[in-house]
Amino acid sequence: MSNSLELLNLRSIFSVSNATRLIQVAESLGVFALLMIVVIGASIIAPGFFTYTNLTNTLITASITAVTGLGMTFAIAMGGFDLSVGSIQVLTAIVAAGLLSIVDAPLAILGAIFTGLALGLLNGALISKLRLPAFVVTFGMMSIVRGIALLVTQGQSVMITKHIEFGLLNNGKILGLPVPFIIMMLVFIVLSLLLKHAPFGRHACAIGGNRAAAIVSGINVDRVTIAVFGLVGVTAAISGVMLSSQLMIVDATLGTGFELQAITVSVLGGTSLSGGHGNLVGTVFAALLLATIASALNILNVTAFYQYLALGVLLIFALAIDTARRTFIAKSLLSRA
Amino acid sequence: MDLSGTENRKLDSQLSYGVSALSFFTRYYIQSLLVVSVVILAAVNPYFRTLGNLENILLQASFAGIGAAGMTLLIVSGAFDLSVAGLLGLCGVLISELLPSLGVVLTVLTGLLFGLLLGLLNGLVVTKLRIPAFIATLGMMNIYLALAFIWTQGSRVISVEDASFNTLGTGTVFGVLPIPFVIMIATYLLCYGILNRSVYGRCLRAVGSSEIAARTAGLPVDLIRILAFAIVGGCTALAGVFLTAELSSASAIMATGYELTVIAVVVIGGTSLRGGAGTLFGSFAGALFFAVISSALNILNVGAYWQYVVTGIFLISALGVQALRSYILVE
Repeated sequence: MSNSLELLNLRSIFSVSNATRLIQVAESLGVFALLMIVVIGASIIAPGFFTYTNLTNTLITASITAVTGLGMTFAIAMGGFDLSVGSIQVLTAIVAAGLLSIVDAPLAILGAIFTGLALGLLNGALISKLRLPAFVVTFGMMSIVRGIALLVTQGQSVMITKHIEFGLLNNGKILGLPVPFIIMMLVFIVLSLLLKHAPFGRHACAIGGNRAAAIVSGINVDRVTIAVFGLVGVTAAISGVMLSSQLMIVDATLGTGFELQAITVSVLGGTSLSGGHGNLVGTVFAALLLATIASALNILNVTAFYQYLALGVLLIFALAIDTARRTFIAKSLLSRA
Repeated sequence: MDLSGTENRKLDSQLSYGVSALSFFTRYYIQSLLVVSVVILAAVNPYFRTLGNLENILLQASFAGIGAAGMTLLIVSGAFDLSVAGLLGLCGVLISELLPSLGVVLTVLTGLLFGLLLGLLNGLVVTKLRIPAFIATLGMMNIYLALAFIWTQGSRVISVEDASFNTLGTGTVFGVLPIPFVIMIATYLLCYGILNRSVYGRCLRAVGSSEIAARTAGLPVDLIRILAFAIVGGCTALAGVFLTAELSSASAIMATGYELTVIAVVVIGGTSLRGGAGTLFGSFAGALFFAVISSALNILNVGAYWQYVVTGIFLISALGVQALRSYILVE
């Protein structure tokens, strides 16, 4: 009796995990299909969209969002999220730009990345050691870091005049591909390996899936939490460096709403806010989708405000789909049991 | 709430004198902090204790305070609303556009109704599409801000020239109390009535304590939450009326960062983000405390940028104090 029950449970778990995997694949494909439709539509409607220059620019914009989106996917897979990435992005962009007037480009980049890492680790430490909710900690940090960025610059903009070769990080090409895209791919590969093939990623997913079970099975939840938020800080800092090499002039008002973009590309890419798994491929496609829509709207001379609107609507839409999917899985689980 | 109160009192009587004093200060820490900071600032700085400055503090406190009253009810029900800055901007723009043609009374009523409707929409998105409140309202914030931007063709400022409307923001009662502050007191009394003396308030606390239990008990959980979102929308629109009147202008970005201030005020006041219980008295004191601190920063010439840092630090440390408080009670 108990044996057959166990078998039934096992079978249902297997088939459900197959079903979820299928849905996951379908989701990546879904975003990809949507991306293709938008790209084809934009090429037809917006003359000048399908040119080398514009595609390169779109790719660069997408890469900047995607890098932080990939880090955010990790945090969401762990069942948390980080609202401070926009502020970290702008502060690290300012740190990079400011350091460039003193030191070489590599050192400036390192300085920016360490700033991001330190802020991310602080987030993680506050969340795990003081047991405060991630939402409030990162919300508070969003304000604090923005304030620090304003204080450091005194509201002025910082222009990069020395070490102009820093701009190559944005304009440079390797094998015809823009450098930001290559940076994004590197981040993607590293995070994919971490998420799927390293204990660290599996532990993060385990915490997101069932925190209590993760604790019981001996996972050091605090350490993983701190590491994941540190990782998000680093990805936000990489985005910050990329942003400052793109603009070559930065000020503390940049990056507002960036946290929303990062969360949107994660969720749109098929990473559920309920945690437990992360879809990194989907995140990259979703970032490309957002950048394509923005670029097409720009060419069609639609004001930037409609892009805010599009972002908000898209986010709500993606979340509604996510909820519907979870309900569907829960129902199929119930009907099997 | 009442139950846990008696339990706490019982617990307190068993505790030693020192611990119960500590427990008093952790429970009423924001009120104590407010009194202490006002006394110190008034003693140290002669400008701080001028009537004009005190009036200004009350005025500033009422903008965040009115929004925080509604937000307290919503947080008690276990949700929160990050869209208030966009909602306030959109209401402000609507009010300033309607004022020349509709007159003061009708405009204010329309503005409040519009705020209620937007709040209702937030509630519908959160409950019916079943999206987590923080992310749904973050998305709605973007939508409201975008609509306000589109309406005003960017961050164009619409000036309001109606003198009787502007009195709403600049006028005083008895020559001392700013009108918005009087309305703030009225809002808190009303919300206190709703939260602590009405069936709906009990429902809010029940939903916030345990949604599953509330559902099992047959409470219309979604309806209760939607109404709470509508109350937040209404309160935010009310704050928008006074802010528009005080600035005698409106723009999409007139309330940037408002959501942070409002939630910080509620959390610092001692309402737990877990839901189920809340203190309007705390939120009231929290709003005053924030206005006192920002006035002190201005007087000490520290500059506006520090406000971001200070707000964030207060928000995070307020949660630390809450954690400490529950730790003491458990011990």
